[in-house]
Amino acid sequence: MAPRSCALCNDARAILKRPKTGQQICKDCFFKVFETEVHNTITEANLFKPGDRVAIGASGGKDSTVLAYVMKTLNERYHYDLELFLLSIDEGITGYRDDSLETVKRNQEQYDMPLKILSYDELYGWTMDRIVSTIGKKNNCTFCGVFRRQALDRGATALHVDHIVTGHNADDIAETVLMNIMRGDIARLGRCTAICTKGEDTIRRSKPFKYAYEKEIVMYAYFKKLDYFSTECIYSPDAYRGHARAFLKDLEAARPSAIIDIIHSGEAFEVKEEIKATQKVQQTCKRCGYMSSNDLCKACTLLEGLERGMSAAVITDRARRKLEAEGPTPADLRTIPFFHPPTASASPAVEVESTA
Amino acid sequence: MPRKQRFDRSRTCVKCKVNLGNLVIRHAVYCKECFTPLIASRFRHAFEPHINLVPAGPRRGLLKPSGDLLIGFSGGLGSTVLLDLVHRTYIGRTFRKEVRGGKEHPRNDRVWTNIRVCYVDISDAFPEMENRTYSVQKAVETYEDFEFVLVRLQDAFDLRWWEKVSGNSSTLSSSLGIDLSSEDLLLSSTSPPDSTPVSAMRTYLTSLPTLTAIHSTISTLIRLLLLYTARSTRSSHVVLGTSLTSLSISLISSISQGGGFVVPQTVQEEWVPAHIEGHPESRAGKGVVRLLRPLREVGMKECTAWAWWNQLPIPGKQRIPVPRHTIGDLTKDFIVGLEKDYPSTVSTIAKTVGKLAPKGEAGRTCAMCELPAQSVVQEWKSRISIRSFTGLDPSGTDASNSLAPFLCYSCHTTLTSRSSRGTGLPKAGGIPALVAPPVWSQARLAQKDHADAQLGTNSLDGLQDRGPEIWETKSLKPDEMKAVVDEFIL
Repeated sequence: MAPRSCALCNDARAILKRPKTGQQICKDCFFKVFETEVHNTITEANLFKPGDRVAIGASGGKDSTVLAYVMKTLNERYHYDLELFLLSIDEGITGYRDDSLETVKRNQEQYDMPLKILSYDELYGWTMDRIVSTIGKKNNCTFCGVFRRQALDRGATALHVDHIVTGHNADDIAETVLMNIMRGDIARLGRCTAICTKGEDTIRRSKPFKYAYEKEIVMYAYFKKLDYFSTECIYSPDAYRGHARAFLKDLEAARPSAIIDIIHSGEAFEVKEEIKATQKVQQTCKRCGYMSSNDLCKACTLLEGLERGMSAAVITDRARRKLEAEGPTPADLRTIPFFHPPTASASPAVEVESTA
Repeated sequence: MPRKQRFDRSRTCVKCKVNLGNLVIRHAVYCKECFTPLIASRFRHAFEPHINLVPAGPRRGLLKPSGDLLIGFSGGLGSTVLLDLVHRTYIGRTFRKEVRGGKEHPRNDRVWTNIRVCYVDISDAFPEMENRTYSVQKAVETYEDFEFVLVRLQDAFDLRWWEKVSGNSSTLSSSLGIDLSSEDLLLSSTSPPDSTPVSAMRTYLTSLPTLTAIHSTISTLIRLLLLYTARSTRSSHVVLGTSLTSLSISLISSISQGGGFVVPQTVQEEWVPAHIEGHPESRAGKGVVRLLRPLREVGMKECTAWAWWNQLPIPGKQRIPVPRHTIGDLTKDFIVGLEKDYPSTVSTIAKTVGKLAPKGEAGRTCAMCELPAQSVVQEWKSRISIRSFTGLDPSGTDASNSLAPFLCYSCHTTLTSRSSRGTGLPKAGGIPALVAPPVWSQARLAQKDHADAQLGTNSLDGLQDRGPEIWETKSLKPDEMKAVVDEFIL
């Protein structure tokens, strides 16, 4: 069979089939459409303004590695005039994070971006290895997820950035839409398809890869020969998310547009006004100053549970009440340093690991 | 390891607290005696507040529907249980037993003057399917006072059926065909079809790009056939036997096919045919057909128990003879599997979706499924998945000649989204250049052509089809030209 020519340029030989559209295209056209789609996503949502300081949440995995590369490329090509940083969180997982942080450090050199690494140990006094050895493998993703979100915001505050971009891709968002429906998490369902979220007083967070398929991100990294770390977390037995992910992959195989179709569905509905009125109002944590739906934020509650040896019991609200019933918080309890949200007049002087 | 308990407290029925339980429904135990009123009251709770034109408040008055009742019967478990419950509640023993305040009291009038049971026979969709009409009709005839109505899937492509249900034939003097090979779904006039409705239907179904599209198209056709039949029989309500389990499956399946905007309609719908939309009659609420799912609070397990204990014969739903690689089938396998480990999943899905509303106003209704649609479909798609470097409109065609602007996101995706697997079905008569859409879409598009023509904005293609007299070319004589510009000449 004669080689097909690219469906986009009709000139070069098609060497790949786009997972998103099924079109057979050449390598250069793939790079062009992939980057242009991300650019379209950024410009249509007006994500940045010239002079913004933007931190790229970098884990060393494929999504954040490609994000760092694409952000740098687009920033230069379209003159976004952004100041880019790499921000990495060290969860303290031996054999997983150790290696991937090496990748981030290489990225720092390759892309010539300042890097800031913030560790759970430094912020919370606990590493994930220690948490898992205390609570076991069940529910540890709750700790890691809650701690990471706050750590990213705190790292970003230290860098005095206006914006954090993360490598969440279309598959992640579609999977989250399905999962939030199946477990009835109406608050998260209402906001999970938003490209940019901003809590009160916190830094804007965006997902420029919102419409980028995971397969295409891998394909991009492969053809660009990007350096990334591809091992799954050794502590990630989140069974429910695993079910949702496997289901989504089946749907994608049946009809590749399913991922985008789910995101479109998520964008086409919203939580009814009368339901919104019953949702909790956001406030600040009385102990650490971070945004929270209760008097104490989730991170402080989890940390208190760990410190008081009741870690397994603090995943639900009912368990939190049980913790409160056990008696007052000891005065010498280890707490998270108080969070001072960024202000417009904040000094941009930051301490970061210097680029090579 | 000891087996995990399937119920929360004890083996005694949670309702009467006397009998030993016979059935566990989501951790709660019920005995057979308490199970019957439980299901009957769930059915009435989901149905009766919506019978009167203006929904009833907490103090329920008399039930006075504005028309008859049409039951959509597929032969499956849910619709068999629904048939039984409707009969018990409004015709049979239970209804007669409840007579209070004398025979002539208005409360004791029958709620429904006529109840029809409509079966949509889909056996002609594929050659190898078995016709089950006889066994379905037998099952319906075991109940007194139900009128059996037979509709065939190919009626959706039959002009005579359309004339019968819409009472309007003039709009379909010419036929339109869709070019399914383009993203724009270009429309062209073709001569009125000389093929039979069966072959038109088979051509349409086998031309669809994916198995998922075939399944969802058949569901859409059945839904609209039922709704148009309801309207033509002066029925104000259509009820379907969708159980809680099936409802959750169809919600997730619809969301996975881009139907997020119409999630409320997946549960309950007020339908007005597109060709009378905006008519004063429809604005007053007359002619509106209300589609309800009275078993939406009853799970598949409870339906099975009801059918088993009441020895209901289930004729069986017709299965479409294509591989189970569709989004609908995958969703069903997934939800049913998940329910084993997480028994509250189906009710959580239905409750969560019940808290959602469409974002923004519906610009119009879709020409294919007649559900509310957002105004921008193609633009959104071309922004996030570039298919051409030449701009939004790859083929550079005139948008007025395209079906895409008249479709909702879901129907556009159904007709255009491809998969490397394809359908694996032999195309009836090769790959046709143009396929005829269902009759209601034809009527809608013909209406649009008519409106365009009146406004003088019809496409070039359409104008050329109307004959040579529109493009009359003649040379103007100098005095005629002068007459045109005379007032500008000093």
